[in-house]
Amino acid sequence: MKRAYPFAAAAALAACGGAQLQLTRFSTDWTDDGGASIGRVYERVGQTRIAPTADVVVGVAGHTDKVIGLPLDGGAKWTFAHPLDARPVVAGDVVVVSGGGELLALDARTGKVVWRRSTGGLPVLGAGDDGTVTAVTLQRAGGSGSTLLAVAHDGQVVQQIETDKPLGAPAVIGKLAFVPWASQYVSVLDLSTGDEVGRATLREQVSRAFTQGGALWFGQAAFVRFDAHIAGASRGKASIARLPARELPGTPKLVPGAGGPVAAVSSAADRVRLYAHPEPTSAGAAISDDTWYATYFRLVMAFGAHEGKLGWVHLHESDVIGGAAASGGVVLCDAQGKVTTLDAKTGGVVAEADVGEPLEACVVNVDARRPPGAPRDVKPLAQQLAEAVLANDLELVVAQKLLLRELAGVTDEGATQTLIDLASDPRTSPDLLPDARRALAERRNGAAALVAALGRHYDFLRDVLRPPPVGPIALALAGMKDGSGASALASHLLDPADTVDDVKEAAAALAVVAGPAQVPALQQFLGMYRARAESDDLAAAVVSVGQALVSQGQTAIVAAAAKDESTVPYVRERLQALLDAAPPAAPGGK
Amino acid sequence: MRLRVFAAATPAALALLVGAAPAHARPAGGAAVDAPQVIPLPADTLKRLKSGDPAQIKSALDDVRVSARAAAAAVPVVAELLQRGLPEALTQEAIDAIGDTESEAGAAAVAWYTRDRSPAIRRAAVSALARTRGSAAVAALRASLSDPDAGVRGLAATSLGSMKAKDAVRDLFVALEHRIDEAAASIGQLCAGAECDRLTGLLGSVAFDVVTGGLDQVLFRPASEVSDDLKIKIVDRLREVGTGEAHRFLSDVQAKWPKGWSRKVKEAIDRSVQATAASPGASGGAP
Repeated sequence: MKRAYPFAAAAALAACGGAQLQLTRFSTDWTDDGGASIGRVYERVGQTRIAPTADVVVGVAGHTDKVIGLPLDGGAKWTFAHPLDARPVVAGDVVVVSGGGELLALDARTGKVVWRRSTGGLPVLGAGDDGTVTAVTLQRAGGSGSTLLAVAHDGQVVQQIETDKPLGAPAVIGKLAFVPWASQYVSVLDLSTGDEVGRATLREQVSRAFTQGGALWFGQAAFVRFDAHIAGASRGKASIARLPARELPGTPKLVPGAGGPVAAVSSAADRVRLYAHPEPTSAGAAISDDTWYATYFRLVMAFGAHEGKLGWVHLHESDVIGGAAASGGVVLCDAQGKVTTLDAKTGGVVAEADVGEPLEACVVNVDARRPPGAPRDVKPLAQQLAEAVLANDLELVVAQKLLLRELAGVTDEGATQTLIDLASDPRTSPDLLPDARRALAERRNGAAALVAALGRHYDFLRDVLRPPPVGPIALALAGMKDGSGASALASHLLDPADTVDDVKEAAAALAVVAGPAQVPALQQFLGMYRARAESDDLAAAVVSVGQALVSQGQTAIVAAAAKDESTVPYVRERLQALLDAAPPAAPGGK
Repeated sequence: MRLRVFAAATPAALALLVGAAPAHARPAGGAAVDAPQVIPLPADTLKRLKSGDPAQIKSALDDVRVSARAAAAAVPVVAELLQRGLPEALTQEAIDAIGDTESEAGAAAVAWYTRDRSPAIRRAAVSALARTRGSAAVAALRASLSDPDAGVRGLAATSLGSMKAKDAVRDLFVALEHRIDEAAASIGQLCAGAECDRLTGLLGSVAFDVVTGGLDQVLFRPASEVSDDLKIKIVDRLREVGTGEAHRFLSDVQAKWPKGWSRKVKEAIDRSVQATAASPGASGGAP
């Protein structure tokens, strides 16, 4: 639909640097009106039906000179060759791109040019569109201040407003532009007159206005709904959907690049992101599916909206560089140009598409679309965590440490096996290994897997070059008082490839779980080291072995060691203390 | 068995071979003598071993080492000391002492220490077991092929050859695949038929010096152990290799071939030396 606004400025932006139409807006010399003006705005347009925005993936390819559009409803992929100086923005049914000294709006479904204006090289900050006019904020040359440009779909400039204030991404409803600025205000500009007709002061940081789910939202780290409560925004009474605070890898953000144009090429900040889909409710606002999402390079995590509890983890094939939460799931775009939709509840793959080539950056916009079909390849959380923490990717270590703690809380026996694998794998990052060993030591199930792991020893000829995590396994078995691993533990006492710390823990566990079958190995260890245990750990191991022998009635050999002056003094002292504390030997005892 | 050391032999192997002579053949001055001199064990040795006094134990162990085979009576006591436990230095001394006695009776106690946390003690134990021999020693040495310490692995490989542990040939091939080069010479000392063929087949895929360290052993084994046909097969294979280093190796074999040994094999060696004489680098040095 093309429609000229009556007050449209005709001059091209590049040619009219001095043709500023309204400069009294965005004043900070303003006293909060208690929500009166924004309340009037709500009365004016609050019931306006807001059309869904385009469900589309927009990729930046080539040398940031190619835009690829992939409609998510199955529409044909389109490409548009044009240099870019900022990330494209999806606004309503158009895709706004800037670069090469001009600004363009492309039809989101076809890629055809809706309008284009010369700008003299101002990068786009954000854009909103109501189906008839596109409001675009641009960063002024030198980075000081902004330009708000409203262009009708027929290409006529409706308004051009210059300000020294940093403007955020605007939205348009009913000929009104809602423009966030200075991180706390949303000014409402009548695009017919250019006047500011209302203002909301928010108690949340705001850099972006957008429409979704038939509602208008303001936000940056949370979502403030434009509804009947908006007049109470300055008193913190607005309808808000926010994410719970919780530990996350990196410092992910809901809105990238707040405060400036988003670079055309994706950066680490695009790989470490938060995604959430706000939806209007009768009570005000909520997060769709009670689920929000965090990405960390190849990892995608889903969390509960209320307590931030981990719901699922998805290990992706390549870095996720863009995405959007939808009702029912999350749509993600990766560096290889693959578009994957994951189910909100399970993390299973619902749909896959392909942009067709590797991408420099990717923008995903999802509004009305719900992920189609049932998720496939759904795995239990323990298995998802296992795959995530076992991924041999140094870039993921920070997130893996967090997920390891989640795994430690899973009571599934499979989690025990995962921890064993992680603690045994020579490829495990040194940053992750101590956490894995600690979590393994605290397991209280999965004894069979623990004992099986102890069956492995260093074996050069069989290419087993890393012993199992004997110490943590010993602690776990001792914690369970499980004697099924006693023989295996005893064999590790005498394995020179095990660390002395592991040997110490094995000995300590044997003091709890050893039986008669372990006596020969215990005697051998006592004999070999009682007079040579120079390190504290080895001495402690000898004492634990003495304790195990006493528990098996082998007091005579322990007494002999305690008496022999060649025994290391600390060991002698502790062995004697053991003997003193031991009950008298039964008749026939050794 | 004839032990020959080529330039390719590793230091570990050399160390063992140098130390392989029993202690009773080495007088205090260190010079070798032609005939071992038997020195009886002092009468109070056992008493000193049982004294519990480290100094007396040390002096007794010294006497055991000097008396060597003649100290067999002390072996059970030394073994018991090892099993009850000794300070580090005495542990090593006791292990060496049992090795010097060459008494199988001490093998079980020494075998404990092939699992010791100290690589030095493990090396001492492996060296001692090479001399005590017996099934316990063979089992421990086969296990030591997988030791974390490369020195222990090399000593174990060499020891299995010197002990004629034919059952260990398969393990030794695995060891050779894992770059325990000492295994080649041991395989050469132990292999039969197809095993020797397998060793020969490694020419070209394993370093020449390593493989010929084993083939040398095969060629100089008596006809009762290795047939002339097998030796000729090895010589022919070396001729096919046709390199300068093959020529030099064959020339060395030719020069050392014992008088009175197989003429057929000698002729094969002569032909091969002649056939490889024009190979690059055959006259010495690198090609």
